[in-house]
Amino acid sequence: MITLGHYLAVAAALFGIGLVGFLTRRNLITSFLCAEMMLQGVAINFVAFARYHGNLQGQAFVVFILAVAACEAAVALALFVMLYRRGKSLDASVWQSLRELGVPPAVDTEPLPAAPRAEDEIRLPPAGVRPAAPADEEEAARV
Amino acid sequence: MSDPLGFALAILVLPLVAALAAALLSRSSRAELAHIPLVTASAASAVLGAWLLLLVDDRPGHAVVGNLATWFAAGKLSVYFSVTIDPLAAVMLAMVTFVALWIAVFSSGYMHGDRGYGRFFAVMSLFVFSMCGLVLANNFLVLVAFWEGVGLCSYLLVGYYYDKPAAAAAARKAFLVTRIGDTGLILGVLLLWKLGGWNTDLTAVFDHIRTHTPDTAELTTACLLLFCGAVGKSAQFPLYVWLPDAMEGPTPVSALIHAATMVTAGVYLLARCAPLLVICPEARFLVGVTGGITAVLAAFLALAQTDLKRILAYSTVSQLGLMFLALGTAGAISPALAVTAAMFHLFTHAFFKALLFLAAGSVMHALGGVIDVRKFGGLRKRLPVTHLTFLCGAAALAGVPLLSGFWSKDLVLEAVQQAGHRGPHATGYLFLFGVALLTTFLTAFYTFRAYFLSFWGAERVPEVPEVPGEAGPHAHESPPVMTVPLLVLAVGALFVGIVAEPFTHWFSHFLGQTPTLAPQVLADGLAPRATAHGTTAADPGLNAGPNHGFNWTTAGLSTACALAGIGLAYAVYRRGEPQRYPAPVETLFSLSRNKLYVEDIYEAVVVKPAGILAFLAAAFDGFLDGLTRLIAAVPRFIGQWARPVQNGLVQFYALSMALGLVVFLTFVMFRVAR
Repeated sequence: MITLGHYLAVAAALFGIGLVGFLTRRNLITSFLCAEMMLQGVAINFVAFARYHGNLQGQAFVVFILAVAACEAAVALALFVMLYRRGKSLDASVWQSLRELGVPPAVDTEPLPAAPRAEDEIRLPPAGVRPAAPADEEEAARV
Repeated sequence: MSDPLGFALAILVLPLVAALAAALLSRSSRAELAHIPLVTASAASAVLGAWLLLLVDDRPGHAVVGNLATWFAAGKLSVYFSVTIDPLAAVMLAMVTFVALWIAVFSSGYMHGDRGYGRFFAVMSLFVFSMCGLVLANNFLVLVAFWEGVGLCSYLLVGYYYDKPAAAAAARKAFLVTRIGDTGLILGVLLLWKLGGWNTDLTAVFDHIRTHTPDTAELTTACLLLFCGAVGKSAQFPLYVWLPDAMEGPTPVSALIHAATMVTAGVYLLARCAPLLVICPEARFLVGVTGGITAVLAAFLALAQTDLKRILAYSTVSQLGLMFLALGTAGAISPALAVTAAMFHLFTHAFFKALLFLAAGSVMHALGGVIDVRKFGGLRKRLPVTHLTFLCGAAALAGVPLLSGFWSKDLVLEAVQQAGHRGPHATGYLFLFGVALLTTFLTAFYTFRAYFLSFWGAERVPEVPEVPGEAGPHAHESPPVMTVPLLVLAVGALFVGIVAEPFTHWFSHFLGQTPTLAPQVLADGLAPRATAHGTTAADPGLNAGPNHGFNWTTAGLSTACALAGIGLAYAVYRRGEPQRYPAPVETLFSLSRNKLYVEDIYEAVVVKPAGILAFLAAAFDGFLDGLTRLIAAVPRFIGQWARPVQNGLVQFYALSMALGLVVFLTFVMFRVAR
């Protein structure tokens, strides 16, 4: 028999994993996914309690949460693209220049992985135009 | 086109338009044309002013009062832009615009090539406008507004060379000293508003006071407060100190201030308010005494001055004192005669004083800005026109018989002498008559001292001009644009007196038609008090019109005094400044040169304490500033300590949030558990 406690345990696990991931990873996309995971953990809580109480209020909340999360994802990913174009990196600590004036920058004690090469730059094709076929089939397959 | 109101408004508006035009020109590349608006406007105004005289003469005995607009109204207080056109105002308007015209013409030559040419003419036009407004105003608050306008313009013009510290200080002094008087004026206006049945129009106030006689003490206070304003503006004792310093402005400005637009305002104000003076014997006697003190004091101060313009400035103060002395007799004698005497002296004084200043300006122009009579002399060959015109002005000022100054001074003396015959302060007025005679003697002496020092003796010109590049040692006569105004004004100084008064009585007849000076007004005003002072309204001397016979005694005395002064000056100064004076004279001269230490006393009594007060206030202000800075430093200090938290790392922020959540949840759980 799956009780409320089971649901809550799963939700808490999801939330915890998400939190730890958010606090430890510096890649913007990973951080975003972790945040989404925390959100889903909360959503499971809502659903579980809705079923436990036998009403639909929690369900309604979750529908809203999903809708908002979808919007968030769209906005966040667009922002990441822009940030990447500017900083050539998805490392969140690249943007630490937003700190208070006069505070010394945080410096990595270990070296970071090598910076991505220029040809790895993401180029989105313009909307409404068929993308040109890759010149090299093998390279296309590798990508 | 026979409406005097339209004429008066045109006279008023033309200088304002000229001021705007000159201001616009001064910003453009054609700034050297900036004199054209003022010259044109004052010429047109002078023509209209003369015409206005004829129009006013056609309707004797009543003034045209025009209510143009409501300025503001609130509760009992309603203030109208109302103007009054009576003989008094018409004479002033014609005189101001006429003198201003020739001063403007002279300035266009004198100020030629100056950096602030456009500014100069813009402010001069505004000055004339303010004075015309002051003359026309029939409302106390409008009058105060124009009065302040005159003060502002004098400030701007005295401080015309604002990069010169002495000029800036003189402008400040002029403004602040007259402000003391203006405070009194405003208080007086407020008191009259109350006494005059909550009216602010002059005519309404006078009517109300005539029908509802107010408390004598209050009315006397109101008169004295008005007089306080006049003392400041017309440079009477004890507030005369600003006028000699005002010589720092360009010379045409001095001419305008002294002859037409500034210092005459106080005399005019009291002449307008003569109906009030008539019923306040104490107030009018104080006016007379102040005038007498000023006249003799300023004449004494002028004795040993070495700055030509300063001598003339003190002489203006002295002559204004005589005018107030004449005004102070209004009521003791027929007010029409008293006011006629004062206004006639003002009228002739405008001509010869403008002439003297412009001649002094011509000397300065020729000598490159040098005006110290010790540094030059014997200029009569070099500057023939200036010499002759200065002589005309000096003779008129000294009261040489048959010149205009003689006739007007004679009228003043006669007014004072008549006041000495009867009335509450007869002995006092007799004493003042003596003072006036002494002033006549001193005036003749110092005027001709200046004349002989400047134009007689061995020819000396300063080697080093004060203004580089000006014709110092190569002094030459001024161009026609400057000498023509001198000649015109010289003709005025010589003949305006004899034409206007002694044989024709034009001036006194004309002014006597002013409704506020009419005998029946006086009779009504005096009736309630007549018994108190032992005179009756039917006293023939009081109700007599301005007609008067020629008083040979007075004329003879004044002529003797004037000729004695001139003779003494000739004996002492015809060869230049003597090497040494006898000891008692030297003491007197040193007193005069040091201005009787009046300025030093003011410095010690008023300026120094004010300086100390200002210093203390500044120190207290600094203390308050420090306190607020200290309070402001607290958040900054805390911020210094808390700022590193904002390090720009997203993870750090997230961790802080998570830890905060943990703390919050822990708190909630333990609270709930308890």
